[in-house]
Amino acid sequence: QLVSALHNLTRHVVYRGLTRAEDILSLFPENFHQNLKNLLTKIILENISAWRNEAQASQISLPRLVDMDWRVDIKTSSDSIIRMAVPTCLLQLKIQEDAALCGNNPVVSALTVELSKETLDTMLEGLGRIRDQLSAVANK
Amino acid sequence: QQFSELTEVLFRFLTEPKEVERFLAQLSDFATMNKISLGPLKNIVKSILLVPNGALKRNLSSEQVKADFIALGLSEEKASYFAEQWKVNSPTLTRLAVGQTLMINQLIDMEWKFGVTAGSSELEKVGSIFLQLKLVIKKGSQLENVYVELTLPQFYSFLHEMERVKTSLESFS
Repeated sequence: QLVSALHNLTRHVVYRGLTRAEDILSLFPENFHQNLKNLLTKIILENISAWRNEAQASQISLPRLVDMDWRVDIKTSSDSIIRMAVPTCLLQLKIQEDAALCGNNPVVSALTVELSKETLDTMLEGLGRIRDQLSAVANK
Repeated sequence: QQFSELTEVLFRFLTEPKEVERFLAQLSDFATMNKISLGPLKNIVKSILLVPNGALKRNLSSEQVKADFIALGLSEEKASYFAEQWKVNSPTLTRLAVGQTLMINQLIDMEWKFGVTAGSSELEKVGSIFLQLKLVIKKGSQLENVYVELTLPQFYSFLHEMERVKTSLESFS
């Protein structure tokens, strides 16, 4: 019962985003033991940002990017042309499925994608536009 | 005259290899107009096509193509004409051949949206920005959609890496 009550208290504090001692103190009932109240409040305040970050990290979401690697290859020959020198990019994205679904064993899959130079240029144009939109939002 | 028309038909097919029906229709028009029967014409065309296909594979120059045709018995004038057409069309043809080269999980398209997470079951007010990418990938002959979410710092480092890739690709072109 005690653990459950503590759990509810901490969840409430995290949910509401309470950051001031007064707000947390006001949650306790009137005749609660003074020193215990202060001690609990102090401990909660110390941990609050870690708990918030963890809650945010385990939010439901689309699969998340966890890592990314790339490599540039030069294609020298194929069944349609015997000699050529065409650079191409291989991009590997490590993607983690929804953290909330996986619990403690997150499933990470690796997706390897090939991009030609043209595709990369188009993609960079798109990414540049995203960056411009982000700066426009940030400057508002 | 006849030869140049035929050459034109051939090159139109080579530059657009998917237009098979159009090619066959044009061939049969050519046959009727010049009073040749279609069967032998098709055989001749098949043998003629071997030359540009082989030339493409081996990156032959137009002089080499011309020499090949002359060796096969074509007149100097016709061979020159064909070689000229070859020179004009070879960038397109080479690009097509490179395009046909195997690509693994080719990225076809990318869409994005970004927004703000307002709240969740754990946190009443969140206010964090996320970016969602949808990548359209060709796996074999099917298209597959992959959805990924990135935080802002991840996005900026992704952009930075892709710019490095571009520099690298350009230095090899």
